[in-house]
Amino acid sequence: MSDSAQLQHRGLIGDSGVPPEIEAKAKAIRRDTGFPVGWLIAPSAVWLLLFLVIPLLSIVLFTFWSSEIGKLDTSFTLENYAAFFYNEGFFNSQADRFLSVSVFLKTLWNTFRFTLEVMALCLLVGYPIAYFLALRIQTFKWQMALFLVCMVPFWTSYLIRAVAWIPMLGRRGLLNKLLLNMGIVDQPVDFLLYSEFAYTMALVQLYVVLSVGPIFFSLAKIDKTIIEAARDMGAKTYQIFWEIILPLSLPGVAIGMVFIFVMIMGEFATAVVVYGGKTSTVGTVILNYYAVANYPFAAVNAIMLMLAMMVGVVIILRLIDIRKEL
Amino acid sequence: MAKKTKEFVKRKHDTGVSRREFMGTTAKAVAAGSMAASFPFIAKAADPLRTIGLGVSVINEIQGQAAADLGYGVTGQALGYGAYFGKALNQNDQYDVCEGYFNDFDVFLPAKIFQPLDTHRISEWDKVSSLSKTGKLTPDSKEGDGDAPFRLLWCDADGNLIDGPSRYITALPMFHNADSLGYDRDALGRDVTSWAEMLGSDVQGRVGLTNTPQVGVMDVAMATEAAGLMSFGDKGDMTRAEIDQLINYLIERKKEGHFRSFWETFGQSVNLMVSGEVLIESMWSPAVTASRAEGINCVYATLDEGYRGWHAGLTISAKVSGAALDRAYEYLNWWLNGWAGAFQGRMGYYHPIPDNAKKYLSAAEWDYWYMGKPAAEALSDPWGNPLVEVGEVRDGGSYETRFSNIAVWNSIMKENDYLVKRWTEFLSA
Repeated sequence: MSDSAQLQHRGLIGDSGVPPEIEAKAKAIRRDTGFPVGWLIAPSAVWLLLFLVIPLLSIVLFTFWSSEIGKLDTSFTLENYAAFFYNEGFFNSQADRFLSVSVFLKTLWNTFRFTLEVMALCLLVGYPIAYFLALRIQTFKWQMALFLVCMVPFWTSYLIRAVAWIPMLGRRGLLNKLLLNMGIVDQPVDFLLYSEFAYTMALVQLYVVLSVGPIFFSLAKIDKTIIEAARDMGAKTYQIFWEIILPLSLPGVAIGMVFIFVMIMGEFATAVVVYGGKTSTVGTVILNYYAVANYPFAAVNAIMLMLAMMVGVVIILRLIDIRKEL
Repeated sequence: MAKKTKEFVKRKHDTGVSRREFMGTTAKAVAAGSMAASFPFIAKAADPLRTIGLGVSVINEIQGQAAADLGYGVTGQALGYGAYFGKALNQNDQYDVCEGYFNDFDVFLPAKIFQPLDTHRISEWDKVSSLSKTGKLTPDSKEGDGDAPFRLLWCDADGNLIDGPSRYITALPMFHNADSLGYDRDALGRDVTSWAEMLGSDVQGRVGLTNTPQVGVMDVAMATEAAGLMSFGDKGDMTRAEIDQLINYLIERKKEGHFRSFWETFGQSVNLMVSGEVLIESMWSPAVTASRAEGINCVYATLDEGYRGWHAGLTISAKVSGAALDRAYEYLNWWLNGWAGAFQGRMGYYHPIPDNAKKYLSAAEWDYWYMGKPAAEALSDPWGNPLVEVGEVRDGGSYETRFSNIAVWNSIMKENDYLVKRWTEFLSA
């Protein structure tokens, strides 16, 4: 975000910071209190260590082992990483795989690219909903009521929501019946289901609320008097949006993006249900290797997925500095 | 009936129904696998017998009956395919008996997780059918490519595979079935008698296929061979060149939009058929039954080239000894006596000693499930829910007809990693 925007908002939303002398004093007081506060985080630290850090490290360890039929060979190897990146015949101009990218890398890239697409769509659909809820609905009671209505689909299980697309989009689905009855088509249309179209639509429907929620909350936090003041000073509606509302809602957008990004990167079930399994995501690759006990290679894919997720999250947080905005 | 039918049908399948239910258990399994060694399990006399397997055989009623007959507790753990595979392989101190499948033995046997079974301790070993012993149910039966039980059955006292027959076996052959294509007879308007039909241009865009690479690849291999497009040395153990040729062809067809959907679970294959999304697809025979229950004239194809078979085998963990070992053998012998075979028979599975299953089946049930005759009376599933109406005939004919015509058995190939890699390419294409 631009410097001018920061200047405009300084003081208004309380980001001028605590004066250093007061902060130092506060710290000193905290240190002096008798009860060691650090212990409060001990349970969660132990929990995370046992159930996150250690399993994660063991996954990393697995990637350096190799899977032989029926057992794991625990001698150190980088073969799994090589198999992930390198395609046999890559440097051989005679082979049909000459200079073609490894399928696992391709899958990771496709997963990443598709996730970005869906994320963008979720924002495009979600932002107006959140905007309407937060700024157009006047009473808090109605805001909350309508927000809960947005959440209704999430009261059922994820898979049921995904499966529910079938009677809607299928060959004998509602939409096809409608098209047939209206005489627009004379054969049921196929592309509505088990296609990238269906997959994208289902994912947007499944995850859009993850963007509506955070955006709604950051929009609702905006002090209405700022908008009023801007209007009094003669700002046009679009100016108010671009220069005040949008910048102030960016933290919500960023949080929504992170949620959606992480969820869709790990996606594999929806692809099977609505895309008919006609694509592979990193998730499905991991499952296929896990199912035949090739844990090392599954682990390599898992680590790569995690790295890609981290890169994505870092990019998102680079684009929007949440801490500054809050 | 429909609801209950579906429920039981969901519990019965060979591999894969809930292959993917195990995401949550992945981490646990991996962690437990690496830690298992540090928590030795000490068997006590009072401990119940522990058995693991898929929902096909680990069913409360079966283990409950076993416990009642044997006089001690039997605890069964029904797992999804991936979880079963991982637990069998990595935690053989956590079970006494594993109700496994011969097609997993290429991985399980070299790991030495089971102990060789002594046929002298199997009371009715002589009566176990020749299907699993020689590969031929009748003298002129096909043996079939791939992991047929007889190829993975005989071993020496140390558990190394040898050409049979021998005193020791790797697993006690148990329930089995043959899979085929299912198709919508009314929509297609004709009978399907060849695997090649699933590649025909008249079903373009209306074809379903299982997305388990190891199984799906066999179905399409059967189809391309039947269509005269390619041939294979051993469909149960393809070479890289064969896999390449097959997958390249599939990618081409997929780009043309030939496949409507790949299914993951049993229920999905039923949904695809019932909703009219596909006309023809690889299907398990109970899925055909379930589709018929929904009013679709779904037929389990009788294919000239033969079926794809699978066969379960009960094994005892290498960690079991002493009194626990005696109980494990008792449990295996109990399985052979036919009660469980009859129970599973009402779901469409076959028993290795058909005559023992017959003892617990009514004459009408026997005629319908094993002999391929029209049902003389209305028949129920194992839980007593109506399943078959009077006069219905089981698709695929009698037990002998089906099992003398197995073209290929479910297998894990030596080139499995390569297969999964190419399959990933196929799906992404």
